[in-house]
Amino acid sequence: MREYQRAYLAHLAEIVELNDLYGHMPESGAAFLSWRRENSLRIREIVGENNAMLREKLFPVLDDIASADQEEIAALEEFALQLGAGGANQPDLTLNYTICCALITYARKWGRRDMLIRQLYRAGLALFYMQEILDRCGQARYRWKMGLLFGEAASFIKRYDDIKDVETRGYIHRSMGNLSLAYSGANREDAVKKLDAVRRSLQILNDPVYQKKTPELPWELYIYVSHQERSSALNVLRAGIQDPVVLREVMESAQFVREYQERDCAKRGVKPMVRWSLAYEAAQYHCGVQPLGRLLRWLEEAYTGRDPRDYSENGIYANISLPGLYSDYISRDEEFKVKKKDIVLHMYRQVARYVREAPEDQARGLLTKYLLLFLESYVEYPDGILEKDFLLQIVVSRQPDAYVRFYLAARITRLMAARALKECPQTLVGVLGCESVRQVRERQEEILQFAYDSGLFHDIGVLAFNDMLVKLGRSWLEEEREMYGCHVYAGEFYLGRSPSTRPYVKAALGHHAWYDGSGGYPAEYRREEDPGRAVTDMVSIAAFITQATDDTDPKNPRPLSLEQAVEMVRAQSGARFSPDAVGLLEGLEDVWEAGRAAAYEKAYRILKS
Amino acid sequence: MVQKPLEAVWGLTDQPVLALEPRDGSCRVLYQNAAASALCPEYENPLEAMLDPERQALLDALGSGENTGPLFCHLAKSVYAARIIGWNGYRMCLLQEASAYYNATQSALNEAIMASQAKTSFLSEISHDIRTPMGAIMGLTQIALSQPELPPRVKECLGKIQVASNHMMSLLNEVLDMSRIESGRVVIQPAPVSVADLLHEILIVARPQADAGELTFRLEMGPVVWERILADGVRVKQIYLNLLSNAVKYTPAGGEVDLYFSVQPDPREGWVRMVVRVKDTGIGMGSEFMSRLFTPFEREEKSTVSRIQGTGLGLTITKNLVEVMGGSIAVESRSGEGSCFTVEIPFETAPQDDAGALEALGGQRVLLLDSDPKESGLIREMLSSLRMESDWARDADNAVLLLNDADLSGDPYFAFLTAERVPGVEMMLFLSEIRQRMGEDFPILLLSENDWSQTEYMFTQAGVDGFIPLPLFRSRLAAGLRACTGPGLPGAAWEEPAMTPDLSAKRLLLVEDNELNREIALELLGGCGVRIETAENGREAVRKFQQSAPGYYDLIFMDIQMPLMNGLEATRAIRALGRADAKSVPIVAMTANAFVEDVQNSLQAGMNAHIAKPLDMQKVFETMERFLGRDAG
Repeated sequence: MREYQRAYLAHLAEIVELNDLYGHMPESGAAFLSWRRENSLRIREIVGENNAMLREKLFPVLDDIASADQEEIAALEEFALQLGAGGANQPDLTLNYTICCALITYARKWGRRDMLIRQLYRAGLALFYMQEILDRCGQARYRWKMGLLFGEAASFIKRYDDIKDVETRGYIHRSMGNLSLAYSGANREDAVKKLDAVRRSLQILNDPVYQKKTPELPWELYIYVSHQERSSALNVLRAGIQDPVVLREVMESAQFVREYQERDCAKRGVKPMVRWSLAYEAAQYHCGVQPLGRLLRWLEEAYTGRDPRDYSENGIYANISLPGLYSDYISRDEEFKVKKKDIVLHMYRQVARYVREAPEDQARGLLTKYLLLFLESYVEYPDGILEKDFLLQIVVSRQPDAYVRFYLAARITRLMAARALKECPQTLVGVLGCESVRQVRERQEEILQFAYDSGLFHDIGVLAFNDMLVKLGRSWLEEEREMYGCHVYAGEFYLGRSPSTRPYVKAALGHHAWYDGSGGYPAEYRREEDPGRAVTDMVSIAAFITQATDDTDPKNPRPLSLEQAVEMVRAQSGARFSPDAVGLLEGLEDVWEAGRAAAYEKAYRILKS
Repeated sequence: MVQKPLEAVWGLTDQPVLALEPRDGSCRVLYQNAAASALCPEYENPLEAMLDPERQALLDALGSGENTGPLFCHLAKSVYAARIIGWNGYRMCLLQEASAYYNATQSALNEAIMASQAKTSFLSEISHDIRTPMGAIMGLTQIALSQPELPPRVKECLGKIQVASNHMMSLLNEVLDMSRIESGRVVIQPAPVSVADLLHEILIVARPQADAGELTFRLEMGPVVWERILADGVRVKQIYLNLLSNAVKYTPAGGEVDLYFSVQPDPREGWVRMVVRVKDTGIGMGSEFMSRLFTPFEREEKSTVSRIQGTGLGLTITKNLVEVMGGSIAVESRSGEGSCFTVEIPFETAPQDDAGALEALGGQRVLLLDSDPKESGLIREMLSSLRMESDWARDADNAVLLLNDADLSGDPYFAFLTAERVPGVEMMLFLSEIRQRMGEDFPILLLSENDWSQTEYMFTQAGVDGFIPLPLFRSRLAAGLRACTGPGLPGAAWEEPAMTPDLSAKRLLLVEDNELNREIALELLGGCGVRIETAENGREAVRKFQQSAPGYYDLIFMDIQMPLMNGLEATRAIRALGRADAKSVPIVAMTANAFVEDVQNSLQAGMNAHIAKPLDMQKVFETMERFLGRDAG
């Protein structure tokens, strides 16, 4: 690797360290604020240095990749490999993908077939992880591209005999297996496609002709991983789709994986991974072999046997996914839902604690992934832990600086709503179903609370990008900016499920939409259809101001002062922002600095609890 | 027995009276009084003395019981008015001498007919005569507008002259058309026509009109059971374009114009019915006006109508043409709620030669990407009728899956057929990735309803090999796919001529008697660098051709109406010359007589094509490209 490449990787590791809360908590909220500021200053420095390095050293090479010499290409390959190391915890997913694409261009240009296959595989894998983030937002932007990359690499199976390199042959098989990764939706169509892809891959992996041709390859492992992938189609069964082919093949693979695990773990003297044991148990239930009660008992036992300080993949699965799946299964039966309430609430408290104490280490990507999957099946009891409170705890634990932004946005929104109630209550007609000014006045306390909570939860979708954001050590690439735009869908998704969070869906979806429709996103938000648009308009302004002034956010290269931000809002009145809402922007100074300190204090208290 | 009671009453009158009994399309005379017998003593009864048409009219009236209007019969040297009445169960024919009345009315009728003929003739002549100077006005305006750095005011005035003269020319054409219809000179000349081309030519005119009127234009395709018909393409287009331009004219901005097009089976073997519906959301028509809708020069008196230019002849011409072709036209409309015209015309089918396509494409498998299930279904049916197999992907993910599957299973697709827009994917990016994935030799064809010349560069850069226009016809689909079966990449499914071809190595002979027209043509044609020689009449043209070396002229533009020798005679003379290039030199008619008969006449005289005056430079260049462009430059 080149020197700048090593320095870049070292910088990324430092950023992870700087963002690690666990074990670094200062003694007070004020100290916490200054600690975060110091860290963010350092992160900002790093980002500046990284940007300069990439601009001077990397981007010129990528721009003219065809002319790069062998040594440069080898260094790039190694650099990309390091950037993409660690699966979901890749240090720099998007840069890895960008370099892989450049290397594909190079390999095509110079007819480097082995390299082409390798890079197609790696680019496909990078896209898989990028798509995994977008899956949280209900978007499928990278699926077809992933399919093309893996498909092209797999298509070299037709020239298998011409390819002598064992590693390259391995990439062909892995690419063929990975074609199934493009289909992760919990629907019958995706399940069928996934199973088709796995079946074709297994057919070749089990073919003795291929095994004989390349005996050096870990065939057994490949077959095992293929079965693991097929048993992950269990999510389709959980979604209630009872397809006999899916049932049979999932059951078959779950059995295979279980037996393999038992043999392998016995050999290595370790416990089997709970995920695959669960796959077997769940498949038994879905196939009608065992009742729901037995599966729930198995889950309770497995959960009790977890290590609450284990942050390995198996540990994260046991501590976060088991409660999630437990919630999912009890939701199928009202009786269980009532009977198991205490267990569920206990599990939720434990999950919150587990997440709060999680180190910012290699497991952060997996933690986010499983945490977000857990949220998908959150069961809200009216007298239990409301999802809105749980979400806030998660935000504080994973992104305390984002929480501060949310808190400030909430206070600004409430301030604006209070002014609107006093000066122009007619603009609030429609909010919370109020049909007249009289009703608005009668429900002003509720409206103020609604405004506050809308500000507080408007950007909850950024949770989907947590692992991408906390390790970001450079300015955004275009790809990332586009991906990040999907956080509004994630917000809509997370808030749309529980009664306590549902009222804030429109603010989450619409806070980047422009007042006059001439810009912003997403197209799915139509202001005229939002009865609470007066509040969403206020949230848009609050979100802009808090984001533009946030000096702890490294992706905000030139933070503005409050005055500058307000000036920009006024300048865009009538286009981006509602003139009515802009007219309410007075007295922000009162909530500003004090509000920030109070927010850090609050975050600190939650983190210490 | 019968005669007694009749004679008792009718025998007393000196008015000729007959009692008649209808019988098998004829009739029997039961009784005639003395006055009737005296009318034509040489005949048994007056009926026998009548002229055939007059007797038939009388019999028709007798059949129906009584006549509603006067029936005139020429008997001896007089004219009688015949009247049928019922009396005591008999049908009585009362004859009344009416020679004076008849002669007076007949003379007035003849005068009216002659006046009408004179009017028609006058309109026709004057219209024809006005067309020539109008051509000059339009041509010169075009030249003036193409001059650089025109003062804005002058440019504005010229623009208005252009608009007004275009309008005047269309009025003249309508008047001429109507006069031809009235005089029975409209001749329908069926020739094999491609239904796809016909619709395409209608759409390229109608769509921009609707766009200019800020209207939503929608095309709904019905079944097309046969794609080549024997039809007079120009007249058929005239019918549909007239209805469409009316729909556009009478629909305010923001409205909708829907065109339904189908070619349906006809009970007769070897015939089909073209059923076309033009529906709009425009101002509609009141029921009172509907009854006069197809009457010449009729326009509804509404404030919304009076602002719109028109002669009131369009629908009359349309109806006449439809009826001449053996079809029917129906209309539904309500004031303020839009109108819907439905035209059904039967056409004889022309042979479709698709044996080559079936042979080349049969058994091949295509992947179709199109998010619209209905449209996909129709396309797949067409593919099936070409004996091709197809798989359907409704989104990009599915397309990639199927491409991968086919490739990995060793049975790759023959071609990839894709819609221009698919939800959730940026098509340029997607297609370029498909090109990378599938390699250079894999045909990718784009189904496009837009003017592809606008997007051709971008899509070919993205890896698209060819374009197949929508609405889709089996013949076009076959042509697009067949292009993929030849060696190398298929290229565009059809080629659009360049705006100004470089023809500097070519020489043409321009034959035109009018000096002004010659000047205009020289200036307009000169733009593409072609060398031009001129002749002032047909005789000079023949002489110049005779005196030139073989192959000297690459093209001849020939006016038709010229002194000494007209264009048709000159063409026949050139074609009759004994030299090799006399048969092959392209001769293109260039005349203001832009009617179908003129086109047919010029083709029969040996010409290759026809361009109407005033010259539309796009058409001129297309024609030049067609005859000169193949090896130009």
